[in-house]
Amino acid sequence: MDRLTPRVRVVQVLSVSALLLAWEGVARAGWVDPLFVPAPSAVLRAFGRIGGAALAGLGDTLLKTAIAYVLAVVIGVGGGILLGSVRPLRQAVNPFVIALYGMPKILVLPWIVLFLGFGATPAVVYATIHGVFPILVLVTGAVRDVDRTLVTVARAFGARRWQLYWKVVLPAIVPTVLAGMRLGIVFCLLGVLVVEMFAGVRGMGYVLSSLPTASRRPSCSPPPPSCRRRRSSSCSRWTC
Amino acid sequence: MKVLAIRVAIVVALLGAWEIVGRTANPLLYVPPSAAVPALGRLLARDSYPDLAEHLLLTLREILVAYALAIAAGLGCGFALGFNRLVGRAYGPILAALYAVPAVVWYPSLMLFFGLDAASKIAFGFLLGFFPITLAVLAGIRQVSPQMLVVARAFGADGLTAFRKVTLPAMLFTLVGGLRTGLALTVIGVIVGEILGSKSGMGSLINHAYGLFRTADYIALVVVTLVLIVGSDALASAVEHRAQRWTD
Repeated sequence: MDRLTPRVRVVQVLSVSALLLAWEGVARAGWVDPLFVPAPSAVLRAFGRIGGAALAGLGDTLLKTAIAYVLAVVIGVGGGILLGSVRPLRQAVNPFVIALYGMPKILVLPWIVLFLGFGATPAVVYATIHGVFPILVLVTGAVRDVDRTLVTVARAFGARRWQLYWKVVLPAIVPTVLAGMRLGIVFCLLGVLVVEMFAGVRGMGYVLSSLPTASRRPSCSPPPPSCRRRRSSSCSRWTC
Repeated sequence: MKVLAIRVAIVVALLGAWEIVGRTANPLLYVPPSAAVPALGRLLARDSYPDLAEHLLLTLREILVAYALAIAAGLGCGFALGFNRLVGRAYGPILAALYAVPAVVWYPSLMLFFGLDAASKIAFGFLLGFFPITLAVLAGIRQVSPQMLVVARAFGADGLTAFRKVTLPAMLFTLVGGLRTGLALTVIGVIVGEILGSKSGMGSLINHAYGLFRTADYIALVVVTLVLIVGSDALASAVEHRAQRWTD
């Protein structure tokens, strides 16, 4: 393993640079329209031009993701412990949870936007819905599958209910909770980006989807509401 | 039996609450079930969207093409990476890192490269479906016990026979699981692509109904799309169970 690592690194670096070089060459040779497929060097230069707007958008997106993530983890872990430990409740509700988990949430996104309007709220709500289900499903399963022997022994030694949860159930589900949290962060970020692309007025997803549109018809793309209010220099490329 | 009763009660209670809220609040937004069901009828009778069938077929075709491409590329890359240690070590981590990137960030570029028509949806569905299939092949190959391969070799199996009799059955379950995840993600990719920007397909109809505040029609369209999705997943699940029986 250790002897292989430098060779692996070399292959990785070589192949990535070969790809970039080929791309640059194809773009320079004019085999593809640079308006649609810009060369890597042009992409690098573009960081200077749009860096400010993109960073502001990124901050906005990360803030929404953070809020949605906290909500998703709290609801997911709390609900998972509840569903996992109360058997009748789990039997009644779990099929619905699984069904909702499997359903592509994008289908209800237009409805969420109709209810909550444009802005940060639909992004946070949609990302929370997006992120909560993997956590909920994983934690429910973990609590259900906590080793019965441990629970019985704790009971036999006279553990109270809170002690049972604090000393046995919680330590037992920690790995699953962490796995769920890792999945959840990706789902939350994805949710925020989708909402910003679909109906955003700011944020990384909005920047991402507005730039291709603006490049094709620079004179007709309307400025977003946020730019109409404060005419900053970073918004100038949107104005007609 | 009791559990079933509780489940039915939950559904009835939810529908009832929705009906009451929808009637008292804005019925244009909170379309109650009593308005959604007739809308579904009108949709299926080709009343509200006469060209529903064409759009549905287009979406289905996009899904099929994207899934076929994802399977071909995923199996190809997966086996290439799985059977060559150096290549696998080098590209495996890169693939895993790319898989962790929220895929939507690629979609605007795909739309630029492939245009607003079916090609960009197929590309996006392919992109989403490709990674789970490739990673499942890799994981599956890693699962095969080396002893069994050594034994097969010792008994004189050549490479192809060892692959067919040992590797494939041992990794089949993981592989089929990956194929099922890949199908689900391909379907989602195509529909997300259509909703984010397209001129035809179920996603564009959903977007159209949403844009014109035809919320009842929107819900009917979502129901039709959901049937499509659930149907494809049920098919994949049946195949998965079949494979499971075969490996056991």
